[in-house]
Amino acid sequence: MTYALQPSAAAQRKYSLKRTVASVSLAAFGAAFELVSRHVPAMQEEIAGWDEGRRVVIGVLPKGPKITIEKKGNRIVNLGGDEFKADLHILFKNMDSALLIFTGRLGADGAVAENRVTVWGNNGHAMQATRAMQIVQSYLFPMFILKNTFKRPPDYTFSQRLVKMRIMGALTPHMILASYRSTNQHNGDDQ
Amino acid sequence: MSNAYFEFSCPVRILSGRAALANLPYELRQLGAKKPMIVTDKGIVKAGLLERLMEVFVGEDIQPCAVFDETPPDSSDKVVDAAAKLYLKNGCDALVALGGGSVLDTAKGINIVVSEETDDLLELQGVDRVQGPMEPFIAIPTTAGTGSEVTCVAVISNVDAGVKMAFVSNRLYPDVAILDPVMTQTVPPKITAATGMDALTHAVEAVICLQKNPVSDSFAFAAIRLIRDNLETAVTKGSSPDARIAMANAALLAGIAFSNSMVGNIHAMAHACGGVAHVPHGVANSILMPVGMTFNLPKAAGYIAQLCESMGISVEGKDEQARAKAAIDWVRDMQKTMHKACGLPMKLSDAGVKEDQLETIATLAADDGAVTYNPEEFTREDALKLLKQAF
Repeated sequence: MTYALQPSAAAQRKYSLKRTVASVSLAAFGAAFELVSRHVPAMQEEIAGWDEGRRVVIGVLPKGPKITIEKKGNRIVNLGGDEFKADLHILFKNMDSALLIFTGRLGADGAVAENRVTVWGNNGHAMQATRAMQIVQSYLFPMFILKNTFKRPPDYTFSQRLVKMRIMGALTPHMILASYRSTNQHNGDDQ
Repeated sequence: MSNAYFEFSCPVRILSGRAALANLPYELRQLGAKKPMIVTDKGIVKAGLLERLMEVFVGEDIQPCAVFDETPPDSSDKVVDAAAKLYLKNGCDALVALGGGSVLDTAKGINIVVSEETDDLLELQGVDRVQGPMEPFIAIPTTAGTGSEVTCVAVISNVDAGVKMAFVSNRLYPDVAILDPVMTQTVPPKITAATGMDALTHAVEAVICLQKNPVSDSFAFAAIRLIRDNLETAVTKGSSPDARIAMANAALLAGIAFSNSMVGNIHAMAHACGGVAHVPHGVANSILMPVGMTFNLPKAAGYIAQLCESMGISVEGKDEQARAKAAIDWVRDMQKTMHKACGLPMKLSDAGVKEDQLETIATLAADDGAVTYNPEEFTREDALKLLKQAF
């Protein structure tokens, strides 16, 4: 009996789909980081202690999508998916691990606890980034997901709910654009 | 805490018990080493343990080619660099670490510098940055507490940057751990108590924290049973080889358990107490264990209750909450026993912490990586509250 030594076409398509979901999620995550840092005092408080210009890469190993965010003033700036030198890398070990987070099946804490991510850089900085990611997650996911993935789910005030709706609304064009770009990029990769 | 997924690792060959040390040359030979460097500290040399170690090379074709005895209580990049230079200058081909946690961390750091051919450890901090292949490495612990001989972590200070660098990699495991009662028999009662309570904290947190799993549980429960039966004897009758080797085994088992399930809020606060107020790690863990466990009761009562059996507590007629509280009371009793036996501090104020340091300690604790693995969310405010309780 002979075996195909390459993944099947169906498996390749499945991977492409996962990659698209991860790309779109990361793009949304980057955009959300910017928005949340602009509108949410808890996030501004969290990043107040970050060094100016600190860059954090969030991505998927080995060559999956990634984003870089940077602390500028009292805000986070999303530098997008290009290559940047960074102080801290938070990298999912594979696409499936990344999707557990991006689809709200696992929280940032859970991902670290289950060794789904690897961290390159300072341990304390990684903790600060994880907390910031959790704040962003709390504005991205509905409460039923947060209840499953957060140790202590946030208790929103009315004004925080309004901010959440505003952020969700502002993110929609980013997600459509990222989806379009990701699909185009894959088509380009395939050709 | 569903145990939906876990990873477990312990590739260390373990030699434990009477005359285990005599096997060192054989084990070095098995690893293809001929010229080991011994890493230790001045206290170990003064206690005569280096001399005991050198005895095992009589009549052997393997001889140490260098001894580095400059390891301080908290290792730094400068120390690691100096030791690595000595290693390379003498053409050494293996590391033998003889000492406590700092010596073992230093040896792991030397192995990184030598194997990765780097002069900037900062670049390699984090998880899985060290790729190896590494130099042969044998660990001989001289305290029964840290469990460093079976962990893949090294913490080394960066003097210029003023930060503690954490290195985590499966490449950092020693190849062999040698536990010999001779190595711990001369440890003073207070240090025996502090390191023993450190091992107990490792085991307790291993059972409570997020990455707990059936394999790490089995190591943790075995460690607690050994501590229950032997810590007091090791403190009050230090020359007892049976109690000493039992505690060395307990520390090793607890080390295997926590390096896989990780530790939580107790360690986060203890690390910070060490950094700010220089409280010895085991002392801080001992003081903070009851408050840290109590804080986790709402989320982890079931896991804390599981500790009863290995602690020897009767669970008959008790519900989960009552069992969990009984386990915490057992820890408090153990604290009191250690205090009575050798004066081990029971409050942070007795361990040298100043009240005005609590805020800084709380901030550092909230930034500690161990917080991630704690079952309950643990913020700076939570830390401050517990620190005040333990003050």
